[in-house]
Amino acid sequence: MKKVITGDHAVAIGAKLCRVDVVPAFPITPQTLIIEHIADFVNNGELDTKFLTMESEHSVMSAAAGASAAGARVFTATSSQGLAFMHEMLYAIAPLRLPVVMANASRTLGGPPGIWCEYNDSMGARDSGWLQLYVEDNQEALDMIIQSFRIAEDKRVLLPVMPCLDGFVLTHTVEPVDIPSQEDVDSLLAPYEPDIVLDPERPAMIGTFMPAEYIMELRRQTVGAFECAKDVIREVNTEFAQKFGRDYGGLVDTYRMDDAKIALITMGTVTSTSREVVDELRQKGEKVGIIKLRFFRPFPCEDLKKLASNLDALGVFDRSISYHGGGPVYNEVRSALFGMTIPVINHLAGLGGRDVTEEQIFKMFELTSRAAKGEKVKEVNWHNTRGETV
Amino acid sequence: MFEVRFHGRGGQGAVMAAQTLAEAAVNEDNYAVAFPFFGAERRGAPVLAFTRIDAKKIYSKTQVYAPDCVIVLDDSLLDTIDVVSGLKPDGMVIINSKEDPDDIDLGISFRTATVNATSIALEILKAPITNTAILGAFAKATGLITIESLESSIKEKFGGKLGERAGERNALAARMAYEKTIIGTSRGIKKLESKKQWLPAYQDIPIGGALIEGKTQAGLIGPGSFIENKVSGWATFRPLRNKEKCTMCLLCWFYCPEGTIIRISDRGDLMTNYDYCKGCGICANECPVDAIKMTRARS
Repeated sequence: MKKVITGDHAVAIGAKLCRVDVVPAFPITPQTLIIEHIADFVNNGELDTKFLTMESEHSVMSAAAGASAAGARVFTATSSQGLAFMHEMLYAIAPLRLPVVMANASRTLGGPPGIWCEYNDSMGARDSGWLQLYVEDNQEALDMIIQSFRIAEDKRVLLPVMPCLDGFVLTHTVEPVDIPSQEDVDSLLAPYEPDIVLDPERPAMIGTFMPAEYIMELRRQTVGAFECAKDVIREVNTEFAQKFGRDYGGLVDTYRMDDAKIALITMGTVTSTSREVVDELRQKGEKVGIIKLRFFRPFPCEDLKKLASNLDALGVFDRSISYHGGGPVYNEVRSALFGMTIPVINHLAGLGGRDVTEEQIFKMFELTSRAAKGEKVKEVNWHNTRGETV
Repeated sequence: MFEVRFHGRGGQGAVMAAQTLAEAAVNEDNYAVAFPFFGAERRGAPVLAFTRIDAKKIYSKTQVYAPDCVIVLDDSLLDTIDVVSGLKPDGMVIINSKEDPDDIDLGISFRTATVNATSIALEILKAPITNTAILGAFAKATGLITIESLESSIKEKFGGKLGERAGERNALAARMAYEKTIIGTSRGIKKLESKKQWLPAYQDIPIGGALIEGKTQAGLIGPGSFIENKVSGWATFRPLRNKEKCTMCLLCWFYCPEGTIIRISDRGDLMTNYDYCKGCGICANECPVDAIKMTRARS
């Protein structure tokens, strides 16, 4: 069934179709509509879930940990300052291997205070042990809630997943979304059945004090789960594509990359706008393409190495800044491509929610192409920023 | 691709209008997207919303800079905002106004349609929410969607949210506006004053964004706001304080989100700076002795 809905609505419907058991919630712009729609579903009797209105995001994540440890399928959503406030509890979830799914409506983390899209909220949580993915439209937002639970609950993974959707650009934008049937989702996602749960009948301990004798091994084990997640993400993508006809490519997706010599790594909705730019450049005969970075955690080092091996230069879009210079994605990409000699150029744009226009994306391709020709181009380029030249 | 920009004020339903237009277009087998642009402030503040319509999937996720059509839900915006900015030369302007299009001065000549959506909304909906009426004018003026599919989208969207009867009344408002829309050409006499903006380079922005009272290119600036950015035009209601009843408990002073209530310490009195009062009514709501009444601002 096709419906014209916002990204937040799509996420809420995704959670409903996953038959989530517990939703601890706290509202924050631009995530609020997700929580409101889920509250409506519960109120209308469309969704049988324990909906908990908490007093803070820190409590949301604490309740999520407890409920998940008790064997419940847990969903919640947050954004920006809310994500920062639950930071301590984010770190508790992953090593305990609790497969919570939490949507993040990407929003600038103040100061200065703002409500629009930037990735400095989720990037700050990149070493908390959560898998992280970024979507480009409302359909992908819905589909990835379903896939996230499948990935999170896979026995080889058992890690929390954070699908991120661009604040306002998706959360408050309506577009047509194909809503899967409950039957089809049920056949893809079986009920969550963990091996050990907190149950008074069968006492267990989860999240106990752990001395140094064990922590190195536990951390190493979690790294193993991250490695396994790469295969599981690809498998789930294939299975989902067979059932629903929508193939998202796995950890990365590509657009017109077959014979591309210049590529731009994009995330979120900038991917979508970039498709139009690439089509136009291709009409002019330029061999350009897009590498859509879908999963930031685990980071797709192998995919990027393979894709970069045929390129003359690579541009990297970043929607947040590490204050030492470039963006976090740029630094990860450079690290992944260590030893390769092609120029890798960083393109910072859209911080604080500034509109990333086609004009800016054309400029990103132009600068990357010039670097390919051996011209001197700055490593880090601030697009559409007063006082900077690109 | 056909791109529409809506100008309204928070609370008038510009966002719902943009979404309903997208739904109507999808019902006619098009692809469509709609999205708002909010500033930091809400009810009464100027808001933007956009709709894009095309036969094929739309990938662009940017704002609309060169619309084919501009829709103005409140003609008081014409005094402060250049609504035709970026409008394509063969574009269309649709305005909620009691005037004929030929009497409207946009500072430039455009194909223009007007309809008195406020009076239709007040008559049919008993509230000055003009979003459905103005969509009726859109159907008439552009012919891009039929009034029938618009009516069915309105019934579905508004009916689903506000109940079946509200859906039908809103559809009727659109139909009435459709029939009463007048199409003409705007005049181009007045000089457009572009809004003053202060956009410093990163080298010139004060450290940490800290602002003290001083002069910028956009005029005076003070803590919290541009001093010259008066918002009294947003207010539908404004507070009037009964000095006899007031006990000087200062709850209103404490709760005012804009700091517009000023203590005159030497007289033990209060005054309201209406230039910055948005008429939110929080002061009246908080007053424990009912000393503040909200009254119509533009009467």
